[in-house]
Amino acid sequence: MTTVLIILALLVGAYLVAVLEGWVSTGRFRPAAPVLSGVALLGRESLVPRKPDRIFFEVGPVLLLVSAVLAAAVLPLSPGLIITDLATGALFVNAALAYVMVALLMAGWGPDGAYAMVGGFRFLGQLVGYSMPIVMTIVGVAMRAESLVTTQIVESQATLPNAVYQPVGFVVFFVAAMSVCFLPPFDLPTAPGELAGGVTAEYTGWRLAVMRLARAVLVVTLAASVTVFYLGGWNGPVLPPWAWTAAKTLAVAAVMLVAGRHVPRLREEHLLAWYWKIAIPLALLNILYVGIVLIAGSSSSMSM
Amino acid sequence: MILQTAFMGLFGIAAIWFAVVVFRTHSMVRSALALLFSQAALGAMFLAMQAEFLGVLQIMMMATEMAIMAIFMVMFMMDPGGLGQMEMTHQKRLSQAAGVIGAFAALGIAFLAGWGNPAATAPGPQAQLRGLGLDLMERSMLIFETAGVTILTAMVAATAVAVATRSATKRKEDRE
Repeated sequence: MTTVLIILALLVGAYLVAVLEGWVSTGRFRPAAPVLSGVALLGRESLVPRKPDRIFFEVGPVLLLVSAVLAAAVLPLSPGLIITDLATGALFVNAALAYVMVALLMAGWGPDGAYAMVGGFRFLGQLVGYSMPIVMTIVGVAMRAESLVTTQIVESQATLPNAVYQPVGFVVFFVAAMSVCFLPPFDLPTAPGELAGGVTAEYTGWRLAVMRLARAVLVVTLAASVTVFYLGGWNGPVLPPWAWTAAKTLAVAAVMLVAGRHVPRLREEHLLAWYWKIAIPLALLNILYVGIVLIAGSSSSMSM
Repeated sequence: MILQTAFMGLFGIAAIWFAVVVFRTHSMVRSALALLFSQAALGAMFLAMQAEFLGVLQIMMMATEMAIMAIFMVMFMMDPGGLGQMEMTHQKRLSQAAGVIGAFAALGIAFLAGWGNPAATAPGPQAQLRGLGLDLMERSMLIFETAGVTILTAMVAATAVAVATRSATKRKEDRE
């Protein structure tokens, strides 16, 4: 029952993200557009390119969807409304999201097309940039909660959300999360206008529909992880807990979608240089800062 | 317990199968991904043994590790895309001998070592996490730090070898 509810919530979220994405990129609010284009894609022939790496070509979009859904499985919508409350939840999110790269590499390599392959390998480089900051900032979150369990991480933010408690970690995680779901300005693997769709270039019909759905679900999952790790999850007055998580997730997704529209796409070498020279040191400083605050807090409470 | 053993065997066979695929294929990308799935199957074996943290960590780290490996592949291979149907094996005699000896050594250790009685129950995931953390910071700290620094040194050295020096670039330009 919980699983069905969470999957339904993900689908609704993906639909809303698709509407939002259309709205911010075309400037027109068309609530029926995702459904219409989905139906249109399903009706079209799904071409298979000449001489594909068939296994990778078929598995790529599906693996993208599976990894996004798996990551969402450990993120709570409200107390008790979580598919599986793993003891290693915060780590599991990363483990599932690491396979986003594998999926995109497969989707890039599979069709035997130049644009797609460049897109796939670009995302591989992007992972070398974002994967360290995203793990290191989660360390700060886990230190405060003294747990990797996502529900306990939310409970640790009952008085003060992590976005306020460790703002540096929040900013780094937010940017890294945008890179994971390759939203502009981090849309290097798809790069419309430059790579002609990149990893999605060779996909048509229902396979493209799966890929677009996976991408939308991925945005929801990342927005939900920002909510759970930094914005206090279900904590909030008046409204029921699930409504708070849903509202925060949607707000984060909206900010993610809007923010990138006003920045030019990053170049691969700039992205890597900035991640390694700025984001990783910031994430390490954040760990140090959280450690000092925790020790100072515990010693002052002991002396009282 | 029977189910656990069955899954262990299943994932073990998967790990070996993907490891064989690494050398059977002629494409670097397929080879790299087969290696990843072999390692991920090992992670699944950890999960089947109720070692949740180790399993999840293995499954996560190997994807990232594969990315790093691919970067070095692009740096060093003449044909990183594997478009030229390259051969994945070399020094066949030596590797066959090493493989056979290694297999016998592994089997010998597996069957001859006294493993003691298997634990009836595994500690809970939280307790495992705590135990691992303490072990990393106490008994195994030196091992892990040494391994970490060694790998870092190797990566820096490999990068230094792959990057063209100024003088080499200049010589090339002069020739042209």
